[in-house]
Amino acid sequence: MKTRFLMPAFALLCGVPFFAHAAEEQPSANQAIDLTTGEWESVVNIDCSVLVPDYREPWNAGQPSGGSGTGFLIGKNRFLTNAHVVSNATKLVIRTTNDPQPHPARIVFVAHDCDLAIIEAENGTHFEKLKPLTFGGIPKLNTELIAVGYPIGGDRISVTRGVVSRIDFRPFSHTQVDSHLAIQVDAAINPGNSGGPVLQNGKVVGVAFQGFNGRVAQNVGYIIPVPVIQRFLKDVSDGHYDHYVDIAITDFPIENSAQKKALKVGDDGIGVMVADVEPAGSVGNILKRGDVLLAMDGNPVLNNGLIRFEGELMDMNEVVERKFAGDKLKLAYQRDGKKEEVDVELKRFDPYVKLGSQYNQRPRFLVYAGLVFQPMDRDLMDAHQIHDPAASYLFDNYLTDKLYVERPEPVILTSVLTDEVNTHLAIYAHSVVDEINGMKIKSLKDVKEALSKKDVKESFVVIKLLEKGRPLALKRDLAETAHPHIMQTYNITEDAYLGDE
Amino acid sequence: MKISLLSLITLACLSSLHAQGPLHPPEPRQKPTGTMARPQSLPPQQPIINTSSLLKVNVTYQSYNLQIPWQKETSSGRRGLGVVLPNNRVLVTAQMVADATYIELELPDSGQKITAKVQAVDYEANLAVLAPNSPAKEKAFFSTLKGMEVDTTARIGDALSVWQTGRVGELIVTPMRISKVMTQGYVVENAAFLVYEATGIIRSEANSFTLPIVKGGKLAALLLRYDSKNQVATLLPAPIIDHFLKDVADGKYEGFPSLGVEFQITLDEQFREYLGLKSDAPGVFINNVMKGGSADKAGVKKGDIMISINGSSIDSRGDYQDPQFGALSVSHIVRGRSFVGDDVEIRVIREDKEVILKSQLTRKNVEDYLVLPYLFDKGPKYVLSGGLLFQELTRAYLNSFGNEQQGGPILRLQRIANTPDEFEKEGRKKIVFLSAILPTSSTQGYERMNGQVVDEVNGKKITEIADVAAAMKEPKEGLHIVKLREFPYILHLDALKVEKDNLQLLNGMFRVSELTRLE
Repeated sequence: MKTRFLMPAFALLCGVPFFAHAAEEQPSANQAIDLTTGEWESVVNIDCSVLVPDYREPWNAGQPSGGSGTGFLIGKNRFLTNAHVVSNATKLVIRTTNDPQPHPARIVFVAHDCDLAIIEAENGTHFEKLKPLTFGGIPKLNTELIAVGYPIGGDRISVTRGVVSRIDFRPFSHTQVDSHLAIQVDAAINPGNSGGPVLQNGKVVGVAFQGFNGRVAQNVGYIIPVPVIQRFLKDVSDGHYDHYVDIAITDFPIENSAQKKALKVGDDGIGVMVADVEPAGSVGNILKRGDVLLAMDGNPVLNNGLIRFEGELMDMNEVVERKFAGDKLKLAYQRDGKKEEVDVELKRFDPYVKLGSQYNQRPRFLVYAGLVFQPMDRDLMDAHQIHDPAASYLFDNYLTDKLYVERPEPVILTSVLTDEVNTHLAIYAHSVVDEINGMKIKSLKDVKEALSKKDVKESFVVIKLLEKGRPLALKRDLAETAHPHIMQTYNITEDAYLGDE
Repeated sequence: MKISLLSLITLACLSSLHAQGPLHPPEPRQKPTGTMARPQSLPPQQPIINTSSLLKVNVTYQSYNLQIPWQKETSSGRRGLGVVLPNNRVLVTAQMVADATYIELELPDSGQKITAKVQAVDYEANLAVLAPNSPAKEKAFFSTLKGMEVDTTARIGDALSVWQTGRVGELIVTPMRISKVMTQGYVVENAAFLVYEATGIIRSEANSFTLPIVKGGKLAALLLRYDSKNQVATLLPAPIIDHFLKDVADGKYEGFPSLGVEFQITLDEQFREYLGLKSDAPGVFINNVMKGGSADKAGVKKGDIMISINGSSIDSRGDYQDPQFGALSVSHIVRGRSFVGDDVEIRVIREDKEVILKSQLTRKNVEDYLVLPYLFDKGPKYVLSGGLLFQELTRAYLNSFGNEQQGGPILRLQRIANTPDEFEKEGRKKIVFLSAILPTSSTQGYERMNGQVVDEVNGKKITEIADVAAAMKEPKEGLHIVKLREFPYILHLDALKVEKDNLQLLNGMFRVSELTRLE
């Protein structure tokens, strides 16, 4: 629930260059910063023009908007920033602290699931003489650090100071569905700080990325720690980003004496119950509900699902988090009292992506005789404010009730562009499409195929909706005659965008 | 409950002075009525006769706590009016007496009181008949009162008057005119009944609950709800009151019959053509037939086109032409104009042929619903064992969360209530779910769960709450195993600890009086 209040620290204002010290060694914290040295030139302001996709009129280009964030040089013409700073960008401009010249830039890699991106200047020569920042490790609790960037409150570079408050697994607000390791700091992290370096002893220990709305909590900012950054850098080192992998199970703590007895676990506090397993996940055919997970890669899992990792107690998922698609994970588990060991190959678990916000994607749609079909995802549900009971149930329980198995990409009849041919169907907008002409609809592409099929009653196109008492029946000849006219009237230039082939 | 009605109740509580001295009610002035009003509805009226048919009714009620089912809520009061019927009986709305712990009748003028009980109540039709408790006092109490007759003849456009009693029992009469007649739900959601909609101003007075609406000195309706902003009153009309009283009179109350179908309108021409209907042919598309209902017994099937009931043709909106009210939902033919056990003839088109189907009308008993549509006068069923609180799902439970819905679990249960078919197919008679988990030693680790549907306990399939009580008596190897339909799917409890916890629950801080309520 708390994720709701998390705001990406991304300003809708522009910043102006400035320097801060890209100092390297001095452990003494309170050193004055000399902007004239040029060391801070490698912390840059990123000005971004965006088009926010329009899921209500998916054939339109979207709403022009813009914002500003921070980035920093990590290698030759490579700037690290947050994915949310550059999401849906149409134009990027980098400005440095001491140089008023705007430098057009472009995205090289973007990873929405961990909110990181790498951009480059179209012409990198200006940045060749600058010194990239270097990475440190996970800072200790209560040690000081500074956040550098271009937050709201002025145009020049800003430095705020604080300590490490907490190291924990946290939801990342950019997609609203991903959780990773994050470091909580009490240095002020404000809109515009996003993508900026957080430094300790001159080394980057994190990227500022989100905080709470001031009405909810004070002095709570979050930074993406080095392990997450390095995972991203390693992932893209082969030229493309592969996304996180997931074990896709849900654990339930073993605290109850009867549960211990039934699951035959000892009193050593080792082992967490596997309460649910996603059939489409990495261990879908391996683990079962009621298994007890004992260890990952030989590292014991405690009864509450935590694991001791790099000296800290962390969520056991952190072991999986560090791995890449195709990597092996050694699992030790117990079933009916018998211990088993297995090596599993980790893969990405897709279905949950629909539950989160997506970016840099053109909304997909198909229009037929004024009926607009769109695939269900969070952006769509939000844009259309869909409250149809069947659609809401499908969205809310898509994972928990494993509805993705039957319907990998539910399709919703989002609106009816009224015309004589479909005027009686307008009340069925927001319904989930179950079948068209006898064909089960499992994705938007199915809609296109099904529309060309013939129903039992050949002269009709018959659309069955979930939990609606009647099928929609359109006379095929009337529908096809009306279609071009409706497209013209409602200013739709193409009947469908089904995604990149 | 509508807000407008609640505000009337609040006002009713503020002024509670007794009436003193004789009544001098003003003559209810009937304004010249519209063309549709008939002359016989305006007889000269005798003030004394009019008011001698009204009583004040004072009710104390106390409902059960739906989330902590062994507790009751704070008791409170309702003050309304009752209409005196022949044989010393009093008509009120069912809302008035729901969860009543004490009922008294009061003479508006003298303030004399007598206790009463509910003789018959129908929460769907929102009507109740009260009878005095003491036959000894009854005669004297009712000696100045006269039973009111019910007049079912009101039509759209008719002028009616709302009767209220003032502080000392004086009659306050305000005019109203019927503007619309239709069917809608009264106070519970599972049945639609005939209503009149009338426009006019209703004053806030003491005892403004259950106001009688009168036509020519006879009872034409009771006030169901009033929207003071738009000055629109929704009235519970005489045809339904008459039906209820006739049903009560034979000593065996059976309730209002229903057809038990869901249908879709057929205004869409392409849909009509798809169904093979002619453009001017009547009929609606049957999309669901309730198992065991009247239509099911007659043999109506999903996909039929229903074209008439008892000879009345059904148009493509699902309306028939009522001789008194004009176009009206077909449900009124069955619910309002027929009784349980009456013959019904349904004509349908099936595979392009007309089929005549016959049966006797029935009513679905409230107890037969998978999710009880309402719950009054009795506590929710539950089993509390070791801290796990099992309950049967009811609409009342879901409604107790109001609009805040608490996210996931409640919304999921709500959906079950809205789509009972698939759960009935699984053989469930009721939905048993974990409504809460009290912190005990047996529930260590499970405390924060709620809202999971229970599938099995100790290997026994759970179809209703009694199954849980029976299954919890048979732990296996000292363990209880509870299987759930949702995460975390399984709970284990130590049988010995459960027994100890049960004893502590009975005597401990939760003040649990009984570990189960199965009736």
